[in-house]
Amino acid sequence: MSVLEVQHVTGGYTRKPVIKDLSFTIGKGELVGLIGLNGAGKSTTIKHIIGTMLPKGGDIRLNGVTLKEDTDKYRTAFSYIPETPVLYDELTLREHLELTAMAYSIDKATLDARSEVLLKEFRMEKRLNWFPSHFSKGMRQKVMIMCAFLVNPSLYIIDEPFVGLDPLGIQSLLDQMDEKKKEGASILMSTHILSTAEKHCDRIILLHEGRVRAQGTMADLRQSFAMPNATLDDLYIAMTKERDHEELA
Amino acid sequence: MKNLRDVWSSRFMHYIGEVQKYMQFIFTGHIAIVLVFLIGAGGYQYSEWLKAVQTDFPAEIVIAVIIGILLAFSRPTTLLREPDQVYLLPLESKMSQYFNKALAWTFWSQVWIVAIVYIVSIPLLKAVTDLTTTEIWFIFLLVVVLKYISVQGEYSYRYSERGQMVWVDRFIRAVVFAAAVYMGLQAQLLLAIVATVISVIYIVVFRKKSIGEPVPYEHFVKIEHNRMMSFYRFANYFTDVPHLHGSIRRRSWMDWLYKFVPYGKGNAQKYLVFRTFVRTDDHFYLWLRLTAISAVIAAFVDIPVVTWVVAGALSFATTIQLKQALLSSGEFRMDMLYPLPDNARQIAVKQIVRLAMIVQAIIVGLCAMTQPMFYIAVVVVLVISELTAKISK
Repeated sequence: MSVLEVQHVTGGYTRKPVIKDLSFTIGKGELVGLIGLNGAGKSTTIKHIIGTMLPKGGDIRLNGVTLKEDTDKYRTAFSYIPETPVLYDELTLREHLELTAMAYSIDKATLDARSEVLLKEFRMEKRLNWFPSHFSKGMRQKVMIMCAFLVNPSLYIIDEPFVGLDPLGIQSLLDQMDEKKKEGASILMSTHILSTAEKHCDRIILLHEGRVRAQGTMADLRQSFAMPNATLDDLYIAMTKERDHEELA
Repeated sequence: MKNLRDVWSSRFMHYIGEVQKYMQFIFTGHIAIVLVFLIGAGGYQYSEWLKAVQTDFPAEIVIAVIIGILLAFSRPTTLLREPDQVYLLPLESKMSQYFNKALAWTFWSQVWIVAIVYIVSIPLLKAVTDLTTTEIWFIFLLVVVLKYISVQGEYSYRYSERGQMVWVDRFIRAVVFAAAVYMGLQAQLLLAIVATVISVIYIVVFRKKSIGEPVPYEHFVKIEHNRMMSFYRFANYFTDVPHLHGSIRRRSWMDWLYKFVPYGKGNAQKYLVFRTFVRTDDHFYLWLRLTAISAVIAAFVDIPVVTWVVAGALSFATTIQLKQALLSSGEFRMDMLYPLPDNARQIAVKQIVRLAMIVQAIIVGLCAMTQPMFYIAVVVVLVISELTAKISK
């Protein structure tokens, strides 16, 4: 069964939809890359999935339920790492972890065990009592990542995760993602770092002007663009050019 | 934009518009009435005191020190903004056009403070010194000139030193200016002029030092930011200011309080709201300020009814403002995604506000101890607070 099912979703901020008739699924243990130009609708898609925007048409199911049907089950099923870190200025790193654990009904022992591993992995053990105002962009990003992995959900939704992280941080994140995948969790990741996406994603969804232009494994994509041996970069550029031609015609 | 003078003009118009927008709230608020009363009462006390003042009162030295300190505070108003460090960079050599306009405004927007203080002190000078009217007005002129020198001086100092150790600079200027004013008040006009010349030399040193230095955008932008923030914070007492992001302080001496919200799922929002209330300056000082006013009235006004009315009014004000501040949610926060009931935050806010108001009630009650039926003040605070929390949205 799919963890996430997006079926014919249309939505946006105003009456003019940003995403149009969007459909895709993510299976158990899959890492799916959401790729598209600025303004293609990646962030809007993610906002619909996390439930801060409601679709004007279509359905989004997480572990089989929509947000309306079972809010608690839906919300417990995922954790989210936004593109720009969203932290509480008034909470320390330790308190961010505690708050997250409390909200997701994680007991104290599990919290301690999980956070010890994460703090070590992301080299933040010494910053437990720091406030976000003293963190660099990368550290803020790490706080978000640690809170997300603390929850241990079925689906991770990660928006542009690599910007701001140092190379060690990127490696730690990829390692964590790998580990969670092995345990059966699914990941939806939006990014512009195409080489990383190509290397790590099981499937790619190419989003263009609010629609799914193509989706599948790298092999599927090469076939659909009739470009054997192409890299994701090549396919990406081909996709945008093809669209320009249509507009000119 | 044709030139930098136009840049200044448009900045200035925008700034004045922004200040006016909030000023109307400030002057129509209840604090304005309080201010009028305070000024009236202060003026009356002062005139009564003048009738009785001894001629050996050291008016010259007191006035010289006060005026000297006021003169030394001449923070430049540049209206520079963060993007300027990028966009105005190519115009670096022409920036003096802009700064001349900025310094003229700085002078005119600040000179009245020291002028008013001096004018207010004139009756005192007449009462205890032998200065003639001409001399008194000559010193007024001297004060205005010193203010001009001070504005130029603080700007040059900040420009050349990037604002490092500006307090030392202010102290030196305060001493020299106070000396100049004191000499003037002693009718030693020549010595006053000498002190003025010394201050000019001091300033020329820094002016020379700043030549060729790049514009300290970062420092000036920071000053502007702080100034606008303190204005917004002040305006925020009267109306809701959208630009305001409260500053945060740990207040670790209150850490023990958090034990009252133990670890557990049902407490997630309470855990968050409690810390938000204690550590956000805006929320915490709002409560502290109103509680302090209520407590002072309870302690020093001997008419129980007045205490009750004030306690009730302030209980209403504290509850409603605190509730709105803690509930306001313009931006995306992670707790909006938490698997918690939709009303979890509202319930948490209600409980934290109740806790804050119980503490207020206890403090007011303790301060009213000397009155008969002081417990009524406690009841009033609690009842009004509960009603306010229930009725308000």
